[in-house]
Amino acid sequence: MCFLTLREYTKKFPIEVIWQRCARYVQSARNMSQSLAAAVCRTGVALRCSRRAMSTARLLRNGARPRIVCSTTALNKNWQQTSLLTASTGNLDQYVRSYANEKKVFERTKPHCNVGTIGHVDHGKTTLTAAITKVLADKKLAESKKYNEIDNAPEEKARGITINVAHVEYQTESRHYGHTDCPGHADYIKNMITGTAQMDGAILVVAATDGAMPQTREHMLLAKQIGIDHIVVFINKVDAADQEMVDLVEMEIRELLTEMGYDGDKIPVVKGSALCALEDKSPEIGSEAILKLLKEVDSFIPTPVRELDKPFLLPVENVYSIPGRGTVVTGRLERGVVKKGMECEFVGYNKVLKSTVTGVEMFHQILEEAQAGDQLGALVRGVKRDDIKRGMVMCKPGSVKALDQLEAQVYILSKDEGGRTKPFMSFIQLQMFSRTWDCAVQVQIPDKEMVMPGEDTKLVLRLIRPMVLEQGQRFTLRDGNLTLGTGVVTKVMPPLSESQRNELTEGKKAREKKVADKK
Amino acid sequence: MLLQKLCMRTLHTTRQLCVSGAGVGAGMQKSALAALRKKTGYTFANCKKALELHNNDVQQAEKWLHEQAQSLGWSKATKVADRVTTQGLVGVLVSGNRGAMVELNCETDFVARNDTFKRFVDHVSRIVLHYTDLTEFDGDLWKLGFDSDALKNLATPQGGNLGDHLALLIGAMGENASIRRALCFKVNNDLRLAGYAHPAPTNVGTIQNITQVGKYGAIVAFRSKQEFDDVEFQKSICQQIVGMKPLKVGEYEKDKPAENKDDETCLIHQEYLLDADKTMGEMLQEQQIQVVDYHRFECGEKTQRELAEIMQNQQRQSSN
Repeated sequence: MCFLTLREYTKKFPIEVIWQRCARYVQSARNMSQSLAAAVCRTGVALRCSRRAMSTARLLRNGARPRIVCSTTALNKNWQQTSLLTASTGNLDQYVRSYANEKKVFERTKPHCNVGTIGHVDHGKTTLTAAITKVLADKKLAESKKYNEIDNAPEEKARGITINVAHVEYQTESRHYGHTDCPGHADYIKNMITGTAQMDGAILVVAATDGAMPQTREHMLLAKQIGIDHIVVFINKVDAADQEMVDLVEMEIRELLTEMGYDGDKIPVVKGSALCALEDKSPEIGSEAILKLLKEVDSFIPTPVRELDKPFLLPVENVYSIPGRGTVVTGRLERGVVKKGMECEFVGYNKVLKSTVTGVEMFHQILEEAQAGDQLGALVRGVKRDDIKRGMVMCKPGSVKALDQLEAQVYILSKDEGGRTKPFMSFIQLQMFSRTWDCAVQVQIPDKEMVMPGEDTKLVLRLIRPMVLEQGQRFTLRDGNLTLGTGVVTKVMPPLSESQRNELTEGKKAREKKVADKK
Repeated sequence: MLLQKLCMRTLHTTRQLCVSGAGVGAGMQKSALAALRKKTGYTFANCKKALELHNNDVQQAEKWLHEQAQSLGWSKATKVADRVTTQGLVGVLVSGNRGAMVELNCETDFVARNDTFKRFVDHVSRIVLHYTDLTEFDGDLWKLGFDSDALKNLATPQGGNLGDHLALLIGAMGENASIRRALCFKVNNDLRLAGYAHPAPTNVGTIQNITQVGKYGAIVAFRSKQEFDDVEFQKSICQQIVGMKPLKVGEYEKDKPAENKDDETCLIHQEYLLDADKTMGEMLQEQQIQVVDYHRFECGEKTQRELAEIMQNQQRQSSN
């Protein structure tokens, strides 16, 4: 821990600064024990510096008192500099930490989960968010946020797309949460597409005084559309309603949830008042209800599977042939763990090649085990360099498939965001970029006639050749040198038939002729 | 022993009786509130109040609710009046030689997706369209623009003015809404109208007498030599206007094409959306169509210039 902090510290400041700060510390320590220091100095001058360096370092490691360090090290600045850096002790650590604290280090001790609030305008989405942070702040698990801090959602630019979104973080006893409060439908869609905070679950807020408003249906549709399978309901404003109304609202919401394809009977419903929690009034419907809600969220919304725990996948960036060793593929391991001896498969460009990983290296050093996020080179057996191309993926056999037809939710950049000015129609040819590959695609617009810049839309994409694609994979669409839009795969579709494939390459004239023939 | 058993049984039975009795009573009340809510769709708080006022008489409560809705809507409308409305819908309605285009705004795009809101857009479009019937006109092209104040005072065939109807909507939706602007067209002689709203569902087949709703809308008035019923092409003219945002129709002799074709602002010189090899003008000539006038609404667009222009023209016409 201490070593890490120091390393970060050295990264942050030039060595001179650290030295100055350390020297200041040394100064104060010396004042405390001047006599002893003087004694050590007198006796120690004759000794060779190197000898002392070694012995003091050992002393340091053994947790020697700082004043000894000061007195001896004062003799040789250069030596001290290195000694401090290599053999820092707990005593120094304390000192260094207080500076490193300028920016708090995120401690990953709990699993992370992304949630968000959905619900009608006046039903108290934002008040609930504020209440959650307040109740948890009392338990020192969050930083309390005021209503207007969340409400004035700042315009955020994620991947060049403007989203009105407020992100709040807090934690419960068991999990750490990122909480999203988006004001509009389009914002949620953009959020899903850019993946800035893909929601693992949602809290639906309904006011007991109003019941399900006409738009509540729209909110549930949205939740379905952006792939939220787990919803927890919070019936708000129970202080302004009676028991009967609350029960009826619950019934109504369960009915609506069932109608929308959720398991309405099993979805947890918590009743309370966010306002009471915020104003510290009647805790049984205030803070206690909030805690109960969080408990339900903790238990009902499952923790997303970490990338590390998934079957491994490495998009191939480069392929090298190393004489005497064989073929090496390089890339950043997207998920999972790769070890020497593992079976693997290369997929893409109409090919599936089986092989075995015979070695994993990172920065020219042999690696026992590469983890998701590592940039690595993998030595593979029995495949030639020319068999593998950039854009293929190396993965656990059978874990992914190449696709040539898919359904996606895409946001088309507006002109201000760098997109194109003109709308586009079905049959436009675009270049699709994802992971390390790119491929020509033909676009079909299923439920509109054209798509304007700045709109989000469902598209059916047909690839000129099958590439590795999965549900939830993100991609960019480009037209020449212009980024047209960015999207996420929402549905995998059956492979193209031979005739459909031929249609991909035929021109507009041929298409028109076919339509005319049919008539 | 037997006595004891009997006693126990009576006790049990009475308890059961009691419980069921209470249950039925509560159930009755509950169903009254639930039924009223389900039937009217008004908020629980209001339904409850209505029942309390009328001794749980569902029918009277319902009547009261309907009577109250107007004033409740107004109070809600005044409460939320200062909230910004940036989202919304454009409605386009073309029926024979008359056409109407309206823009309604609301706070969030969730509302804009709602059926109640869409129905209201349809309602307003029809009222605006109906207004054209009140005017006798036999020239070629007549158009009239409304601003939001004029629209609020527009009388409706159902009684009350549009402002009242809007307040009802605000009461039902719980969000601020406004009717921002409207436009109506009337053409005679050999002029025809076509309308389109984007995004539109595909394969509707006709554009007559249906209120199309979307984020963008366009109405085109054109002159064609022969009977021209190609709905697809009519629609594509409107699509061109929605998509390419031309500033004027342009004249073949006077206006020269812009150097960069992406900056082209004359409709006739713009690249045809469905076939990039042709210009819009070439397509129009091919079909022997002359676009006389058009209007484009974009939901939430800032410019009021177009509307101001029309209003000015109107004044000029009336002063003549």
